[in-house]
Amino acid sequence: MAGLVRRLKQAGAKDNLTAFLFLSPFVITFGIFLAYPLFYSLYLSLNRVTTLVNVFENLTFVGLENFTELFSDGLFGWSLLMTLYYAGLMVPLGIAASLLLAVLLNNKLKFHKLFRTSFFLPYVLDLFVVGIVWTFIYSPHFGVLTRILEAVGIDYFSEQGFLGRPETAMPAVVMVNVLKGAGFGMVLYLAALQNIPDSVYEAADVDGASWWQKLTRITIPLLRPVTLFMVIIGVVGALNAFAEIYAMTSGGPSVNVGGKAYGSTWVTGYYLFDTFYVKLKLGYAAAMSYVLLGIAIAISLVNLRILRPKADY
Amino acid sequence: MEAGEKSVRRVRTALLYVALTAAAVVVLFPFFWMMVTAFKQPGTEFDPGLIPENPTWENFRRVLSEFGFMRYFLNSVIVAVSAAFFATLFASMAAFAFSFKKFVLKEKIFLLIIASMMVPGLMYVVPQFAIVKKLGWMDTYRAMVIPHLANVFGLFLLRQYMDTIPRSLIDAAKIDGANDFQVYGRIVMPLSLPIVATLFLFAFQFHWSNFLWQLIVTNKSSLYTVPVGLAMFKQQHEQLYTLKMAASAISIIPIAVIFLFAQRYFIEGVTKGAVKG
Repeated sequence: MAGLVRRLKQAGAKDNLTAFLFLSPFVITFGIFLAYPLFYSLYLSLNRVTTLVNVFENLTFVGLENFTELFSDGLFGWSLLMTLYYAGLMVPLGIAASLLLAVLLNNKLKFHKLFRTSFFLPYVLDLFVVGIVWTFIYSPHFGVLTRILEAVGIDYFSEQGFLGRPETAMPAVVMVNVLKGAGFGMVLYLAALQNIPDSVYEAADVDGASWWQKLTRITIPLLRPVTLFMVIIGVVGALNAFAEIYAMTSGGPSVNVGGKAYGSTWVTGYYLFDTFYVKLKLGYAAAMSYVLLGIAIAISLVNLRILRPKADY
Repeated sequence: MEAGEKSVRRVRTALLYVALTAAAVVVLFPFFWMMVTAFKQPGTEFDPGLIPENPTWENFRRVLSEFGFMRYFLNSVIVAVSAAFFATLFASMAAFAFSFKKFVLKEKIFLLIIASMMVPGLMYVVPQFAIVKKLGWMDTYRAMVIPHLANVFGLFLLRQYMDTIPRSLIDAAKIDGANDFQVYGRIVMPLSLPIVATLFLFAFQFHWSNFLWQLIVTNKSSLYTVPVGLAMFKQQHEQLYTLKMAASAISIIPIAVIFLFAQRYFIEGVTKGAVKG
């Protein structure tokens, strides 16, 4: 405490006051809407809604019951599995698409800017609306993609479309996000590629390295920080996945696993929305979001471990 | 020998352009198809053909007037512009304090704020909703805008930039008798304009697309934004494809146009923001 007072004096009371004036709009909104919610959510997660009238006033303390119920909730386990599936598709496909575009663009080209603009544009558009557009493209019978495939003799999608089949629904949803987000990764990879000095490649040429060897031995290892960043972004995207699911599948179509029906795109984000907004089980949803936070923190820590020691080459 | 090498290079360049064009077609096709469908006569949306036969503005006219999208569009503009303005103002003021002022526990507070970026966005939905409800803000613009005004990413971006402004400039202004508000408004903000523009655009884009939040805090159709209106429209008129695509276009075109004119700010924001890793 004495130390704090001393530091206050050192900094000068007037300086502290103006600093506070400049900080206050940000810090107050941060406090009310970003910091306090974490504690409030913890409180909610230890309570249960008792009546559906005025849900925030009629809470009963239940201790850790929401959490114990969550860990025996098969649907929650399934949703985590679907989230993992989402991430498992999103991460490699997203990285591959971004890297491909960046490598193609990293040449002396006419229309360089035009191509870059085309690839990056979808990234800034609204995911929900893009999902609506794709639902139309994916739709059975008349969907344009369904028809293009029919024209080349594939009628697998004619009856149910891409989103109506449990085995293709998730890949179809992820594909939308991959194509929409590829431009984002491309910009990052492109910046990293342009940072690799030409002399590295010239040295490899002298040693007689092939195009493939240069790609796998020089380019990809030097792009590692961007790739790791893309992994994090992909996993966080899977944890936050909602708008695309809401637009395209509403968690379905259902699939039968061991006699029970599960939604084949029922990711945790959608389950959270359903629990909170449709079923009004606030405490349960809050407990769920704490599990999400735990996963996100675990991933960040793993990321720090992997990234830190190798950051400086 | 030399002619052979030249033609190999030519083939390679040609293949490169083919690959890039194919990729651009795949990435942009959905938006092309959306526009084509939006201009088709209702009932002809499933006709093959890449160009509508009798292109019509009818779909746009109907969603805007009959189905309320004029109002939704206006709401989207009000929400996105005001939120982007205040988010940028708040972040720039805070960044100024963190970059140029000395105060107690400065770096610790900064780190704590930045650490919140790890929290998945969905985590906030339930408690923020509860807070907004308790404040009695349901069905107001306030509810859509205020909870997202502390833009942590923006604070990070702006502070990083302001830290590169030479301190001597500030000292010189102070010797001339400028106070902190003048330093902020006349020196730091003008010098930070490119990054301020970047943040404004990102915040605008974020709020233009902040679908889940806008969905849960509005029940009155007079407050729907375009994506929320589209979600409701989709539930009630699943089959009206030409209208649905026109409504989608109303959401997508403004942000696409802004992007085309301000692309470098978006790209700068992405590359600068990712450096944090």
